[in-house]
Amino acid sequence: MGWLQTENLKRAVTERLLYSVLLLKAVALAAHEIPEINGFWVDGAFKPSEAIHVGVAISLRQGGLIAPAIHDVGKKSLDEIMVNLRDLVNRVRAGVLRSSEIADATITVTSLGEQGVETVFGVVYPPQVALVGFGKITERPWAANGMVGARPVMMATLAADHRVSDGHRGGLFLATVDRLLQEPEKL
Amino acid sequence: MTDDQIRTLVLREISKIAPEVESGQIDPALDLREQIDLDSMDILNLAIAIHKVTGVDIPEADYPKMASLNGCVGYLRARMPRS
Repeated sequence: MGWLQTENLKRAVTERLLYSVLLLKAVALAAHEIPEINGFWVDGAFKPSEAIHVGVAISLRQGGLIAPAIHDVGKKSLDEIMVNLRDLVNRVRAGVLRSSEIADATITVTSLGEQGVETVFGVVYPPQVALVGFGKITERPWAANGMVGARPVMMATLAADHRVSDGHRGGLFLATVDRLLQEPEKL
Repeated sequence: MTDDQIRTLVLREISKIAPEVESGQIDPALDLREQIDLDSMDILNLAIAIHKVTGVDIPEADYPKMASLNGCVGYLRARMPRS
């Protein structure tokens, strides 16, 4: 969070990043390392996806959620993802989304922290095989290097299809997301 | 700008972001996020819109000062030329 605040201080208001962008990029890069959470279960078999199109759960102002995709998130810069996310949110809420954008996510991210949710227990959108949930950023006591201090902490969860992956691979995926988010400047 | 003009400006930009909200619904003393369900993207869009109209740059650290409609008016009044 400190990196993001410092980074946004340097930027014009039109070029600021939201922390959701860091989450999306970290998920995409982690999905590249743990490919069995990225793809579809169709016709009784897992079809992994080379492309990583991250579905983003976006609330509609009149109620409900839809999860259109940002394409090739792992290959994009944070600025490109931010531009895509802003465009997607604005178009979702204006009701001008293309149907193809709703259908082709290979993995979904839902971030409910702004609604006050600390831990997301997500449900996979079939035929996808995984959904990553992020909760609210809360300040908690945290011990590191023998010292205790207050740190912003966020709970990340993974709902995954056991026909494709297991708790071990799921744990590795979440550990990878955690590792990537510790160095946001490298995303 | 007068306080009324600033209030009208902010309400106009809010209505573009949340068109279902009627300005009369908004309690000027209460948190906008909670009252009309604005998220971080909405707040960023509001900051951008206000910047484009007024030229006032609102750093992220100042978002809490603009949490309510009254807060927005007070914040912008202090940073805009008086009429």
